[in-house]
Amino acid sequence: MQKNNSLDAGFIAKIFGFALFVYLFLGFMVLPCLNTLTSIFTTKNAQGITDPLAVVKFFWAGTMPLFVWNSLKLAVSLVITVNIVGISIVLLTEYFDIKGANILRMGYMTTLIYSGVALVTGYQFLYDTNGMMTTWLAQIFPTINRQWFSGFNAVLFTMTFACTSNHALFLRNAIRGIDYNTVEAARNLGASPFRVLFSVVMPTLLPTLFSLTVMTFITGLCAMSAPTLLGYNSINPEIVRLAGSSVADESFPQARAALLSVILAMFTIILLSVLNHYERKGHYLSVSKTKAKLVKQKITNPLWNILAHVYAYVLFVIYMTPVVMIVLFSFQNYPAIRSKMLNFTDWTLINYFGTQNYEYMTSRGRLRTRIGSISGVFSNSDAVGGIRLSFVMSAIAAALACVIVVLAVSYIFKHRNKTRALVTESCLLFPWLLPTILICYSFRIFFNREVWYVFGQNLYWRENVRFLIIMAYTVTKLPFALRMIKAAFYAIDDELEEAAKNLGASPVYTFLKVKLPIILPSVLAVFALNFNALFTEYDMGATFQSSYGKTYAMIIQNMTMEEGREGYNVNASGRRCASTVFIMIVSGIILYLVYGVGARDLGERLEARKKWRQRWAKLTGRK
Amino acid sequence: MIKLNNIFVKFGDFEALRDINVHVKEGQFYTFLGPSGCGKTTTLRTITGFIEPSSGSVFMAGNDITHVPIEKRNIGIVFQSYALFPTMTVYDNIAFGLKIKKLNKSEIDKRVREIAAKVDLSSEQLEKAVSQLSGGQQQRVAIARALVTGPAIICMDEPLSNLDAKLRVQLRNELKKMQREFGITTIYVTHDQEEALTLSDCIAVFNKGVIEQIGTPNDIYNHSKTEFVANFIGDINKLESAITSQIGLNDKQNHFIRLERIHVLRESALSESGGFEGVIESQEYYGLYIKYYIRVCNQVLKVIEKNDGVKIYNPGEKVSIVIKPEDIMSYPKE
Repeated sequence: MQKNNSLDAGFIAKIFGFALFVYLFLGFMVLPCLNTLTSIFTTKNAQGITDPLAVVKFFWAGTMPLFVWNSLKLAVSLVITVNIVGISIVLLTEYFDIKGANILRMGYMTTLIYSGVALVTGYQFLYDTNGMMTTWLAQIFPTINRQWFSGFNAVLFTMTFACTSNHALFLRNAIRGIDYNTVEAARNLGASPFRVLFSVVMPTLLPTLFSLTVMTFITGLCAMSAPTLLGYNSINPEIVRLAGSSVADESFPQARAALLSVILAMFTIILLSVLNHYERKGHYLSVSKTKAKLVKQKITNPLWNILAHVYAYVLFVIYMTPVVMIVLFSFQNYPAIRSKMLNFTDWTLINYFGTQNYEYMTSRGRLRTRIGSISGVFSNSDAVGGIRLSFVMSAIAAALACVIVVLAVSYIFKHRNKTRALVTESCLLFPWLLPTILICYSFRIFFNREVWYVFGQNLYWRENVRFLIIMAYTVTKLPFALRMIKAAFYAIDDELEEAAKNLGASPVYTFLKVKLPIILPSVLAVFALNFNALFTEYDMGATFQSSYGKTYAMIIQNMTMEEGREGYNVNASGRRCASTVFIMIVSGIILYLVYGVGARDLGERLEARKKWRQRWAKLTGRK
Repeated sequence: MIKLNNIFVKFGDFEALRDINVHVKEGQFYTFLGPSGCGKTTTLRTITGFIEPSSGSVFMAGNDITHVPIEKRNIGIVFQSYALFPTMTVYDNIAFGLKIKKLNKSEIDKRVREIAAKVDLSSEQLEKAVSQLSGGQQQRVAIARALVTGPAIICMDEPLSNLDAKLRVQLRNELKKMQREFGITTIYVTHDQEEALTLSDCIAVFNKGVIEQIGTPNDIYNHSKTEFVANFIGDINKLESAITSQIGLNDKQNHFIRLERIHVLRESALSESGGFEGVIESQEYYGLYIKYYIRVCNQVLKVIEKNDGVKIYNPGEKVSIVIKPEDIMSYPKE
């Protein structure tokens, strides 16, 4: 009797889970995107007649190809510049013997904790017309165009250095995986160091480089924060602009936005298919049973050696200058920040904590006081509101993505090699094929009315938009979570499950006590990395453009525009610097927790605990 | 204790086990021996309940357990990889099965410490993570975990296969000692014939899903029933017709002789021994013994001679070979 009850409960839970999964997949992936797709072909022309090709005709007649061309131009240029810089930083720190490689590596890896809108505004701070670096360069080269840092040049420069994070992580791992015996063998056969590099080392890195190239291309194509903030007419900012426009202002803006996002999706799908096809062809793996660790290569030619060192340190300066300046200026008061001149005698915490009044002279010569106009990031209601909202929404979305994926992967593994497992996996990978902007734009348009599917609610209306943003966050993070958590499940030895079963454990008990603790570090890492990415996320916040869903990145973006207007927010730039420092600290802590603490196994944790106890006992004088 | 009656196991069209009949007696150390893919692990998994046979029955202590769920069979398992839970301490690994049985804490603690002491695990080791233990210690944890719930029998699936040669020999001896101490019926799966011969009371030799022979190590080695068993257990020489015809053996059969059953004498003893004339082609020095490759009647025979430090033959040296007819094992030609 008891068995029947538990069977029924299990069956009901399965049916409920299945129904919920289908409901969410249809409602938050398929229907909004289909709506976007159909909106392209259901527009009315100037005569008010539905013309399926109206937008397409408009596309070719208008300026829209320019946005596509600009995005492609940026993507292609980025592939070249990012690969040059990315390969350089990895070779300089991992392959060649360059003095101070550890410090250089730290500098090159700063983009891991300093990225997105924070990085773009940081570069803007240094390189725009009145930026510190531009002023300094103008003193050396008086003929320099002080407005060089705008449009394509600025976007390319910023994104080149912002997009090397993947090289710093994955290419570094690939080069470290090279079997040094193959290098020694080539040298022994008479190859010069450069011949070894190009004939032995680089070919083994090609698969990783190919993946990185495709990812860089997609990043360039879908670029959002840099083109928006630095003024470059590419696809994404145009979609956001059109999404906020109405038919009263211009011809069928929504359908045009939809068309642009579908074009973006087509490019993404083609590129990912190519990548997938290439990855399936396999990789060059070392066949050696006893791999030797790579030994750094000395550059024997003194001239090349000096040039390599100069190049390495120039790159280091480019990477580090914005970080150092942002940190230093975050402790400066607003006059120093406005003049972009460091005042070494006057340091302050006002950009972080507390408020101050601002006194200023009006054009009529009156002295006015704006109460609390100078405020720290943690004392400013807008900033705190943005941080709080981003924190809560990111945490919920990151947790939701993990829960959904853990349950789904558990199901996928239980039904390995069956169609239902493949279908479940494909559903979760679906958002990977679509650019983030297409998903968010589709959500914004589809749910910006009372929709029967969500019980007659308008999810874009007022506070509802927060739910919509959480759903968008969750959906876009599912593919990453799936890839990582699925890999963790592979690490579970089948015999563990059998052992637990043999000792009498039920499937639920086995999952909770045996499998979950094994995958938990990976799940927590996925949660932390997703949270980290979402906390300062800009693209989705900008696409939703709602005053009820102002994320932290949007608040930071506002800080670049609102400074000093009639005495308001006088230290917005200082607050922005402090915000960036705060983001770097949060990201740094998360990366430390994920790759430092989280990577330890139980043995290492017990050892660490033992050491702490010994230290504590020594400190307190107890035995 | 355990009886397998006419067990057949099919995976789709593939017949993994064909008419398996085994009787494991109480307290016996019983080994399933055979090459990879011969069906020995499938048989073990049928006993433990991970595989349900297509036909046939599994009996334990007289009760039919063919359809009894795994957890209710009261069989302890030591897995090939040990399957120790990596996120738990040694203590928690051993206590796992007791916690599921919902024993009270003090009882669990008592039983865990008792079994730990029996398998030579210290209190300090109980608090460690399994990754902090050596291979041998991990094996003891796996055995303790399997024994602590008081199973009627214990099944081991190649528990030594992941270890290096020296440790394997050391643990093999410990395993036998522990089995004797606990007196528990043990079913052991291995592809290593030396392991099977040294550990077992009884061996079942598997080949292509069937059992070729069941017997004591001595039976299996000295009285191999089939050509496969003779070849699989230990090293052996197949005698060619040039030799067999001189001994007067039937040419409708294949004839084999173990290496240590061939006697090597100095060439001068040839006339007295009535043996064959041979020439040493090469030798392998193993310390305890020396292995010679000797050309006899256009065939190279492998021979093992005890290393007494005096009687050592060099390549090229002529010797006399003695083969006694009673040492030859003969099997019909297929």
